[in-house]
Amino acid sequence: MNLLTRLLAPRSVAFAHCDGPCGVYDPASARIAAEAVLSMEKKIAGLGDGQDAATVNTRTRFIAIKEQQAEIVKKELDILWHDYFKPEHLEKFPNLHDTFWKAAKLASKNKTEQDPANGEALMGAIEEIHKIFWATKNRDVAFYRANP
Amino acid sequence: MDDGRERRRALAPGSLAMLAPILLVTAVAAWASLRFRGFAVAGNSMLPTLAEGDWVLVDERAYRGRLPRRGHIVIADDPRLPGRQLVKRVEAIDLHRQVMLAGDNPEESTDSRHFGPVRSQTLRGRVRWRYWPLARFGPVR
Repeated sequence: MNLLTRLLAPRSVAFAHCDGPCGVYDPASARIAAEAVLSMEKKIAGLGDGQDAATVNTRTRFIAIKEQQAEIVKKELDILWHDYFKPEHLEKFPNLHDTFWKAAKLASKNKTEQDPANGEALMGAIEEIHKIFWATKNRDVAFYRANP
Repeated sequence: MDDGRERRRALAPGSLAMLAPILLVTAVAAWASLRFRGFAVAGNSMLPTLAEGDWVLVDERAYRGRLPRRGHIVIADDPRLPGRQLVKRVEAIDLHRQVMLAGDNPEESTDSRHFGPVRSQTLRGRVRWRYWPLARFGPVR
């Protein structure tokens, strides 16, 4: 058998490839980005209406970061939605698609507007996803915020 | 003495019958080795269709003058690492011969979702047959 396998062994390798760390999912990455969005919205509100150059520059910077982070939220939610969740999860949580759709819509709203209320709503949506996610793994993981 | 010789002669047709399948297998193996190229599968992105350690036969002439089609399992040059070949399934092909590749196990696959479409010219061939392990010998679809 040894000789046979040596004769038959292919000389080339085809990679059914996956970049690490595959199979590692956690809504925490969406939560962290959403917290950054909320934080920026609060900072933008804290700046007030000042139109001097320094304030305008700072506001612009906060807006740029907010939009970047909101985009990261959307990307992280997408990864959970279409890579982690499977049809059997949908059977158990029929509102799964709706939850993700609304969360993604909220992320978009956070991109275009500056109201911290949107950030809070986004955090709520991610908490909802957090609950569903850990329920599919039969684990009881508490939702928390880095900036309470 | 006579008895022994008779027994030997009686054995001859039987051993030929045993040799025939071996010859046939050898002939098929020789033909396959000329017609196909063997690849060993590494990684989990094509589960459950292909598993780590599977040995498959790849038709390198499959796309000479023919386009890949949705559903084919193909060997493609890794767009991100020259010299490495990937095994993935064709998810879609457009008019410009841009091919979207996907793993059968999306949870553990790096594919066109990450690196985008690849040109059909970068496909090396089509995976047709698994020949090892013998327990899972057969066509790959």
